[in-house]
Amino acid sequence: MSVIELFRWVQYTDFFTAFRESGLAYPIVMTGHLTGMALFGGMIAITDMRMLGWTMRGSSITDLVDQLRVWKRIGFVLVVGCGLMLLCAKAELYYHNPFYWTKMTLLILVGVHALVFHRSVYGNTAALDRAAKIPRVAKLAACISLLLWVGLVSAGRSIAYFDVPEDLTPSYGLR
Amino acid sequence: MLQIQIPYDPTTNPLNNNEWSFPLLEIIHIVGFAVAIGTIFMVDLRLIGIGLMRRLPSQWARDVAPWTLGGFAAVLISGPLIWSSDPNMYLNNGAFRFKMGALLIALVYQYTIHRKIAFSDPSPAVGALVGVLSVALWVSVVAGGLFIAFV
Repeated sequence: MSVIELFRWVQYTDFFTAFRESGLAYPIVMTGHLTGMALFGGMIAITDMRMLGWTMRGSSITDLVDQLRVWKRIGFVLVVGCGLMLLCAKAELYYHNPFYWTKMTLLILVGVHALVFHRSVYGNTAALDRAAKIPRVAKLAACISLLLWVGLVSAGRSIAYFDVPEDLTPSYGLR
Repeated sequence: MLQIQIPYDPTTNPLNNNEWSFPLLEIIHIVGFAVAIGTIFMVDLRLIGIGLMRRLPSQWARDVAPWTLGGFAAVLISGPLIWSSDPNMYLNNGAFRFKMGALLIALVYQYTIHRKIAFSDPSPAVGALVGVLSVALWVSVVAGGLFIAFV
């Protein structure tokens, strides 16, 4: 099964057809997507600012990262879970939208960022706290993280501004 | 629903005459709200007693306050500009009216009761009540914003 076939199949399952056509459930899941974004994105932003030395210098990076970890994960699950539902409801429409694929590429880069900087930064906070000055690698990780985060939001918002060509529009239309 | 009409024709508004300014403002609005509400949630989680327990509510509240304010600044500048692109449509949209009402209550709450209680390191019961109400108010504002396109 190709990707487009998978996307076509999932959007016409009974569950996602009902979800797409419901006046209430769809915007509620969007609210969940944005609430998760505030939780996840807000906490990532604060962590990054701390690594740049712009806030909470009175407490250690370790303390901040440890305490935010579980809530970042909950925010991540909420934002990705709701995002997946929104995708499945109109999968074919997203398939033809280049901004959707830009967003997915950025999401993969977020994963790459986490893997690349885990050893030197996020899993190594005790050493960051012991250093006289915040190491450059931590500041680099924080800057890239902030850029990826703003990039994700930008690509996500841009999805709404791309008009899928008429001959590729699925039967439920553009909205 | 009471109809409101202000005598303003948005066709010459720059927001309606180029492709990029409207989405750019929306991006600023989303990043700003995530930072503002994300940092408020941090204080709320501590007040409710389900996270960030190794520091006092007052410590979190003091440390995140400038970021909450910065987020608000981004949201409260981009928001009215977005509104100016089609003011009468928004004014007569039920979800928009709900959002503005909820926003007003949430903002007043944030800088009166929420601030006072968070800075006073309350008992768990009072903290939980104040934190839950804060989360509910801010989620209402977000929901109101999303429903604008669905009513």
